[in-house]
Amino acid sequence: MHAATHNSPPLAHRNWQLAPGLVFSGLILLLTGGGLLALFLRADSDLAALWQSAYLQGVIRFTVWQATLSVLGSLLIAIPVARALVRHPSFPGRSGLLRLMEMSLVMPSIVAVSGLVAVYGRNGWLAELLQWAGAELPWNLYGLTGILLAHIFFNAPLAARIMVQTLERVPANQRRVASQLGLGSWQLWRVLDWPALRPVLPGLAALVFSLCFTSFAIVVTLGGGPGATTIEVAIYQALRFEFDFNRAALLACVQLLICGGLWWLVFRQNRHQAMLPDQSLSVGAHARRPDSTGWRRSADQALIGLFALFLALPVLAIAWRGIPWLAGELVDSELALWGATLRSLAIALPAGMLAVVLTLALLAATNALKPGLPRSLASVSGYLPLIVPPIVLGTGLFLLIQPRLGIQDYGLAVVALINSLMALPFTLQVLRGPFQANSGSTLRIADQLDIRGWYRWRWLQWPRLKRPVTLALGYGTTLSLGDFGVIALFGSPAQPTLPMLLHQQLGSYQIAPATGTACWLLGLITAIFVLLSRLGRTPGTSGVNHA
Amino acid sequence: MLEINDLLFRYPAQAAGSKGWRFNLNVQEGECVALSGPSGCGKSTLLNLIAGFLTPSGGAIRWQGQSLSALPPWRRPVTTVFQEQNLFDHLTVAENMGLGLHPGLRLSQQQWSRIDTMLDAVSLGDFGKRRADNLSGGQRQRVAVARALLRPQPILLLDEPMTGLDDDNRHTLQALLLRARDQGKTLVLVSHDVRDREVLANREVTDFYHPW
Repeated sequence: MHAATHNSPPLAHRNWQLAPGLVFSGLILLLTGGGLLALFLRADSDLAALWQSAYLQGVIRFTVWQATLSVLGSLLIAIPVARALVRHPSFPGRSGLLRLMEMSLVMPSIVAVSGLVAVYGRNGWLAELLQWAGAELPWNLYGLTGILLAHIFFNAPLAARIMVQTLERVPANQRRVASQLGLGSWQLWRVLDWPALRPVLPGLAALVFSLCFTSFAIVVTLGGGPGATTIEVAIYQALRFEFDFNRAALLACVQLLICGGLWWLVFRQNRHQAMLPDQSLSVGAHARRPDSTGWRRSADQALIGLFALFLALPVLAIAWRGIPWLAGELVDSELALWGATLRSLAIALPAGMLAVVLTLALLAATNALKPGLPRSLASVSGYLPLIVPPIVLGTGLFLLIQPRLGIQDYGLAVVALINSLMALPFTLQVLRGPFQANSGSTLRIADQLDIRGWYRWRWLQWPRLKRPVTLALGYGTTLSLGDFGVIALFGSPAQPTLPMLLHQQLGSYQIAPATGTACWLLGLITAIFVLLSRLGRTPGTSGVNHA
Repeated sequence: MLEINDLLFRYPAQAAGSKGWRFNLNVQEGECVALSGPSGCGKSTLLNLIAGFLTPSGGAIRWQGQSLSALPPWRRPVTTVFQEQNLFDHLTVAENMGLGLHPGLRLSQQQWSRIDTMLDAVSLGDFGKRRADNLSGGQRQRVAVARALLRPQPILLLDEPMTGLDDDNRHTLQALLLRARDQGKTLVLVSHDVRDREVLANREVTDFYHPW
């Protein structure tokens, strides 16, 4: 009999794979359930009467209405833009535009709002232009109009980017056949584009709906009045100002039911939904489509140009107004910006790292478990933060620990923890594929060679995960840097983070410092995201030195 | 001797009552046996059972009189060469070889030298530092067989190891495997190509499987 020539690899026992993920998964479920339970236990008024109240019903109606309109607006813009981008696979600036579309995910809502106000607001560029032409701005940005504009600004590019990648995956030969047959635009839609988009549309609509349904920073800045309040904002108001736990719990349950029900419907149809575009950009790689010539070409160019302007103008407005202020004020060592920057980084960097660690642990546990309830729970727990209001998670923690110790004692750590949970759906999306990339044969060979435990991580998984981990860290860190939802509940106004400082400045009409702060925050996020997504990109060997 | 006695297996996906396999096979030490039979008769399944990648419902697998059934794949005296995907693409050729000797790549200078010698033997002496995904199909299979020969495990399971290779690569691999057989390794070969079976196998077995 052949005897093993070495000891068992370190950390090879199955429990090392299972335990951390199961513990984290249990904690997420406990935090969600505990948060809701804690809210209900503190409730002291009549739930039935509350449910009947006109205020509550108005909030629910408005939340559903604005989310539905946002989905329609985003998808109706995204579809023609995506088709135009696919029809024209090579034009100057295409890669830049696609990258800008990806950035909308990590751009803080509150920064985007300040950019939108600078362009479309009462004193914005458009108003100045109209005034010069002798006309007046036909809308008021504060209210449903502004909320829809901001939601479309965020979600149309994300949806269009995912659609572009979906349409580019249509097999090359099908595209060539369509090109050879000279199919017209309508026929191409019927034969190629619609069959490709149809499977992703329900999930994409659910994603946009959830993001808009749970929107906080946009609504609290551009809406917030009795006529324009979403559930998420109403929960915040109930907890922060009115201490009405009953109302907060009821609203959180309604949110969970509506968003959870929607995702349940999507998953029941076995729709695998991409929540992030992949990082590949295909430029000029496809056969020319018959519908990309003549007047259509000009129409596409106009559409792409307008869309690029729609995305770029708010960013340019922030830079235009913010950079001069920053240049004049940055030397001031007493500037509130410095303290806010340090606090933001002190939250975001640990939050990003924690999100990556939690994700890897959840994936390891999910991989090690056989299909069944524990595996389903471990899988679902990572996506729960997409539908559970961060404020419920935070409130759960807040109410669970506050009786023993004041929240200020935990302060930034609590915010970092909740932020890392909020990033989980996105970091999971980045890491799931690479984590499971090794084929069945490869894993069998690895088993036979006893490459298990630490050695499997070192030789098989880490080399594949290096780049995605830095990208996931980029998402985790920048999402946390831009967070305004959790910090609004737990943060102290005297010690703001960057988004909180920006909100305070916008609230007190300090427009110049606000655009300066927005510009600084946007620059910081862009720098961190670009740096982290580039790190580890160089393919190389595993770094073993031998003779 | 490698003994397979009434080894029972049924894939979980198969409906209850549908057909499974009962395998019986004896292979002498230092012998090469080719398994023959129509597609779907269970040739690759038997190799996966011997390697421990699949779990049988009953029966026995013994090597030199000792049961292998309770052993995980990494404790069995077996090395498998598949038709493809034998190498870890992101690692170098030398690292792929080295992992056959120690899963943590903790190798002595002498072991690294053995790898170099083996690479010379398969005409890939200059390829040690090249990444596996930069090799051709034939080169990859030569590395996979070289790693299998480097390992001390006495049984070599070959699952279509030469499918798709050109004549030059095929002859190189055949020569290597013949040398391994002559040095005392026990080979179980699955190959659709009659040339491989004729060159490598001491005997061809067709009655190793029965319906169950």
